[in-house]
Amino acid sequence: MTALFHLIAQLLHRVRKLLLSAGVLLAAFQVVLILQANSIQSSNSFSKMGDLIPPFLRDILGSSFAMFLSFKGIVCLGYFHPVVMGALFSVSVTLATIPVMEIETGFIDLVLARSLARHWIVTRSLLVALISTVYLLAMMAVGTWLGLNKFAAKDAGWPSFEVVGSLAINLGLLMLSWAAIAMAIGCACRRRGSAGAIAGLLALTAYLTDYIARAWKPAESIAWLSPFRYYTPFDLVMGAPLPAKNLYVLGGIAVAGFALAYVLYMRRDISH
Amino acid sequence: MPSGPSAISINGLTKRYGKITAVNRLDLEVPPGEIFGFLGLNGAGKTTTIRILLDLLRPTSGHAAVFGHDCQSDSLQARSAVGYLPGEMGIYSDLTGRELLVFLERIGGKPVSGKHRNNLIERFELSDRDLSRKLREYSTGMKRKLGLIQAFQADPLLLILDEPTEGLDPLMQEAFYQLLADVRKRGRTVFMSSHVLPEVERVCDRIAMLRKGEIVLLSSVEDARKLSSRRVRVTFGEDVDPPPNLPPGYELIDAQPRAWTLRVTGQLGGLPSFLVAFPVADLAVEEAGLEDVLVRYYREVAE
Repeated sequence: MTALFHLIAQLLHRVRKLLLSAGVLLAAFQVVLILQANSIQSSNSFSKMGDLIPPFLRDILGSSFAMFLSFKGIVCLGYFHPVVMGALFSVSVTLATIPVMEIETGFIDLVLARSLARHWIVTRSLLVALISTVYLLAMMAVGTWLGLNKFAAKDAGWPSFEVVGSLAINLGLLMLSWAAIAMAIGCACRRRGSAGAIAGLLALTAYLTDYIARAWKPAESIAWLSPFRYYTPFDLVMGAPLPAKNLYVLGGIAVAGFALAYVLYMRRDISH
Repeated sequence: MPSGPSAISINGLTKRYGKITAVNRLDLEVPPGEIFGFLGLNGAGKTTTIRILLDLLRPTSGHAAVFGHDCQSDSLQARSAVGYLPGEMGIYSDLTGRELLVFLERIGGKPVSGKHRNNLIERFELSDRDLSRKLREYSTGMKRKLGLIQAFQADPLLLILDEPTEGLDPLMQEAFYQLLADVRKRGRTVFMSSHVLPEVERVCDRIAMLRKGEIVLLSSVEDARKLSSRRVRVTFGEDVDPPPNLPPGYELIDAQPRAWTLRVTGQLGGLPSFLVAFPVADLAVEEAGLEDVLVRYYREVAE
């Protein structure tokens, strides 16, 4: 256990700049969105924005269309904006593919030449992925809290703590599931670049599948395969409770992905 | 003979990558206290064997054990006795030299004596300032020195060193040889691969030569040297013609009117009687070298 602690500390030290900068940028992004929402609210422009949205987009968004035309909707957008999702995904994949990078660079040779079981390497990466996800979501929540308290009027229609919490939990599980998928891919690959590219392509395909299925009915038959299907920010912002099914599916993907990563890493040759 | 299990015991070890056989039915015993040289050209299977000993690679068949502990099924015990220097040291460049040594000590689970580590640091002439620098600022030689310090710092029973002196300057090579002499005195075992044959001749008790994953020569350094041919340079006081026939084991490899270079395989006892008929002015015998026997061995096996 002492070795695990030192492995975690070393990895966190290694990725500290990435995590610090990502955390600050994500928090700042929340603040910027709140400033934007505040500006729109002050100029009573939410109704004008509604007129600008084309009908087909209204059809896609359905009843959640109204959500975008509110202060709360714009604030919550920070939890499912493509830029935020992309940033979180990139951090998750970067962390999840560290085991394969260590094999590629030969650093792991020095580590595993010691009396240290291989599974600690995967456990360490899993825990660092978990810590990082919680930290980044916490930074986003801090950004939201700071932005609301510093820049928003009290009667602007703030999102409730439950809504922000539900979004953060759902988003966190989604990112953990992608971290697990990327780690399993990494444990089967010889190169970090290959693992990152495969995970990126897979995520893009899954994201587009989910997105297309919202507008094009035939795509719904395969949309259930996309992890993004189990992140339902529009419903959450509209006040729906966090569906247990989403949590089970995303949690299941994460558990299966990490388990596969363990098996693959334990069985593979460590050669660069 | 030392009692107890061999420091390294390899039986029928085979490693295949698809159709390529990297190591083929390797058998080897290295007793405790020996300095063993593992030789071979690039791709001969040296590093593959070393990586199997460390459980970094899994063998296709066969077994390897360190002090009686199977390198796969009991790998934690096996590795607890090992200090390892990789051929190419992959490092995390944002750490300082000292941080790397401390990190590797902490995950090794075996306390390192500060006195012992400082002694190693002194031997390899790394200053406090050097150890406080980030590894990205280290030269190749400094990285090698740090690699040696981390391998030796826990004072392991078995040292597995892959090309240990590559990148070291002659002074540091000398420091390394002295360190080997010290660990030998304390009964430690060293298993080292090397391309530097004079180094192997100097420090190793026994050698194994690997070719295409198979051991083609396993002997003491002394015995290997006996297999070699020696060069004899003979200078004459006047012009002479090359003889039509040479005694068995003799080969004339260069014939000038007043100088010959002979390659003599085996004992030199017959040399005076062979040369008695010639006006010999000077005679020089080059010491038998391991390099010569290994090159010859490789050539013969290849043919």
